[in-house]
Amino acid sequence: MHEKVLNLLETGKVDIFLGYKMMAGHPLPHAFGRHNPVEVQEMILGPARYPLEKLAVEILAARPDLKIGILARDCNRRALNVLTVHQQVAPGQVQVLEVSCCPSPLQRHADCSSLEAKEFGAGKKEIGIDNNLTPDRLEAMEPTERFSRWMYEFQKCLKCYGCRDICPVCFCRECSLEHEDLIGTGDLPPEVPIFHLVRAVHMAGRCIDCGLCEDACPVDIPLRLLYRKVNELVADLFDYKTGLSLEQPPFSLLFDKTAQPAAAPHGA
Amino acid sequence: MYKLVPSVCSYCGTGCGVLFKVLDGKLLGTLPLKTHPVNEGKLCIKGWNLHEFVNSPLRLKAPLIRINGRFAKVTWDRAIRYTAEKFREVMSQHGPDSVGFLASAKITNEDNYLIQKFARAVVGTNNVDHCARL
Amino acid sequence: MTLKRMRFLKELFAFMGLGGRLRLEWISSAEAQKFVKVVSEFTEEIRALGPNPVGRYTCESGKKIGRRAACPTAPDPVLADTAPGPHTVPRAAAEGR
Ligand code: SF4
Ligand code: SF4
Ligand code: SF4
Repeated sequence: MHEKVLNLLETGKVDIFLGYKMMAGHPLPHAFGRHNPVEVQEMILGPARYPLEKLAVEILAARPDLKIGILARDCNRRALNVLTVHQQVAPGQVQVLEVSCCPSPLQRHADCSSLEAKEFGAGKKEIGIDNNLTPDRLEAMEPTERFSRWMYEFQKCLKCYGCRDICPVCFCRECSLEHEDLIGTGDLPPEVPIFHLVRAVHMAGRCIDCGLCEDACPVDIPLRLLYRKVNELVADLFDYKTGLSLEQPPFSLLFDKTAQPAAAPHGA
Repeated sequence: MYKLVPSVCSYCGTGCGVLFKVLDGKLLGTLPLKTHPVNEGKLCIKGWNLHEFVNSPLRLKAPLIRINGRFAKVTWDRAIRYTAEKFREVMSQHGPDSVGFLASAKITNEDNYLIQKFARAVVGTNNVDHCARL
Repeated sequence: MTLKRMRFLKELFAFMGLGGRLRLEWISSAEAQKFVKVVSEFTEEIRALGPNPVGRYTCESGKKIGRRAACPTAPDPVLADTAPGPHTVPRAAAEGR
């Protein structure tokens, strides 16, 4: 792995390589550069996960002249595919070094923070929704109970916008969640369930199920579960497999054709 | 050229770990520090937007004193002397309980101790409060 | 497409526990009777479902309420829910989460 990164840097294929390094006792994302090849040996894989592809796209928006490489777990890879089909980054503009992290019976890597199932208290299990549930286990409940449980979860929202800010595929310059006429501003909790449903609908064809939003939510709203259902619906109804290939056109629930300019990615 | 700098949120006493995104010496944004024991990868809306005040044109970088109705930039020495004079003036007219002290969540325990000691022993008032009590 | 979009929304609402409150029909301007039939049917269906539960989370003034927001006239939305189920628990248990 280290040789491959060194090779990318030395042959000039990339100017910056985004990976992880232990700094100040924390596994942090770090930009490795050509000027310090020794440092590359310190690169690690995890266990913390940050949206490296989002960082790469942000850098490219400000400095389109740079070439960037990222350490890509499966979720990073899928997110990059979504960002590419939505023309936030040109195909091949971000080099990826793929690392395998998702568990399979054959290989069980433990270097991914999303693999550690979290425990939730009895209170949340009583009246809220356990984040470890699957959509069908939730659907086995009575609709009234499901609604009441969802509302309990949504009302905890602090409106920190962390779910949007960490999300690798939330790239819109204007966000509906901050739109005065759509959701309203200034109140806590935000208008529920609209706030969360709007985001859920916007995640159709975008969410690549990385779980970073749920990780970032200070009040443990089972966001990933909600977007999982959205993904199921998108796959069943529209036969769209979000993030799995570059060949699919960008998905939009509202328009038959996406209202995206066919121009270069923003900032370019 | 591009750096990610770990730091601590400067807004409240919780002290969440943040990660600043720095490109070419300019602050681009803030991320939560995922492995920080205080916030475990979560931030409130202030923490998420921590980078905004740093680059804000409205940010105060020097003390201001109102001179003839207009704010003027002054040195810290002058500002502190001015404040001390005004305090003395108010206290000599209305007694020590006419002033109060607000301590801060973003300074050390020792500094907070000093503030209350200063208020009680030097000035002679119990008007001490702290932003963590708001 | 419209059909699929509506199914998407319907199923998302159902997942939230708000199923049956959305309907799509094609009615031309010449089909007055069909219009009447569909609207009456749907009105009956909605009536049978009872009032929109989202309303329980709204103050009389129209301002939405939350567990933290002050709204003296409205009951605590989660705990006042009278539908049976494990989600209706005494206040103490709810707050000891
Ligand atoms: S799981 Fe959350 S953070 Fe990840 S892509 Fe989906 S919405 Fe965005
Ligand atoms: S991260 Fe959680 S609390 Fe913050 S806005 Fe999103 S849902 Fe609300
Ligand atoms: S992120 Fe919010 S809660 Fe955390 S220290 Fe900053 S202001 Fe306080």
